[in-house]
Amino acid sequence: LPAALGRGCLGRWLLATRGWAPLGARTPSCTCPRWQHQAPLLLGAARQSFGTRAGGLKAAKPGDSSKDVSVQRALNEETLVSAAQKVKEAGRDFTYFIVVLVGIGVTGGLFYVIFKELFSSSSPNKIYGDALEKCRSHPEIIGVFGDSIKGYGEATRRGRRQHVSHIEYVKDGLKHMRLKFYIEGTESGKQGTVHVEVKENLETGRFEVRYIFVDVETYPRRTIVIEDNR
Amino acid sequence: MEEYAREPCPWRIVDDCGGAFTMGAIGGGIFQAIKGFRNSPVGVNHRLRGSLTAIKTRAPQLGGSFAVWGGLFSMIDCSMVRMRGKEDPWNSITSGALTGAILAARNGPVAMVGSAAMGGILLALIEGAGILLTRFASTQFPNGKEPAEDMSQ
Repeated sequence: LPAALGRGCLGRWLLATRGWAPLGARTPSCTCPRWQHQAPLLLGAARQSFGTRAGGLKAAKPGDSSKDVSVQRALNEETLVSAAQKVKEAGRDFTYFIVVLVGIGVTGGLFYVIFKELFSSSSPNKIYGDALEKCRSHPEIIGVFGDSIKGYGEATRRGRRQHVSHIEYVKDGLKHMRLKFYIEGTESGKQGTVHVEVKENLETGRFEVRYIFVDVETYPRRTIVIEDNR
Repeated sequence: MEEYAREPCPWRIVDDCGGAFTMGAIGGGIFQAIKGFRNSPVGVNHRLRGSLTAIKTRAPQLGGSFAVWGGLFSMIDCSMVRMRGKEDPWNSITSGALTGAILAARNGPVAMVGSAAMGGILLALIEGAGILLTRFASTQFPNGKEPAEDMSQ
């Protein structure tokens, strides 16, 4: 199955790259001039619109140039017409400006979320990464699960398992966070659940580990303690 | 915990490729229908025929283009998951960048870098939106505090 898929995709790739490659450079007569504002939400439209955003904006321009000509002619004739047209143009510019502002706001918000998730040391993803590293270097875990250990979180409907289930709560004025993810080793059938809890350290401002437990799903259920600072 | 009896990853490639093709074909079909309708001579028959011709010509191209993007992205994503051993948003961002780079390979290295940047930024935005949605959906069901300490050794 994958081989036939690869061959089929290759044939369509050769056909499609010719149509795809100039898509970013071609200006008018391209797709979706209006979809750039919903770019984060529509996957397909976003792909196309990102490549042709310049085309969309340029396509809106020729109307203004024709209006420039008519405004100059109106200046020669009556000032009333040009005032009305100026008001219309100002209204149109204002709407465009608001739309651009909304787009920038949404994009900025999404960038902030993704940066906080990936780079801040208090994000669940970072804690999950650190805990997974500790699991990987623990000899007992290696003994049970084998050498290469892979970790994953909760499964979404599409099958991607990126979301790590976590709960944040405040206790005694300090923030705690509890995580749960799953690990699996090379030996088949051996799956484990890792429970991690971290507590906020007020002096350094970072999270430090309180405990890391691994439940192994074998018949006599074992619990391996990696770290316990309670 | 495991609703699927099999690993999602290799099968996800077929899933994503087909899903992307459907999105491209349907979206392209609608768009080309309107465009073909408007770019035809006056008269409903002419317009409908122009619309149909536009759909027949362009929609499969768009669908194929999307399918290539989706299939390649999913392939690189699964490879990275296999290599790194964990599932992360980083995988998606890097896969998006590499997909953009590979698909622009015929236009030289500078175009590849630009396309990679675009792909990476796009995927970062999509991942951010996904994370926002998940967090938002999970705060809809407030749980309070976890009751007691976890069981000890």
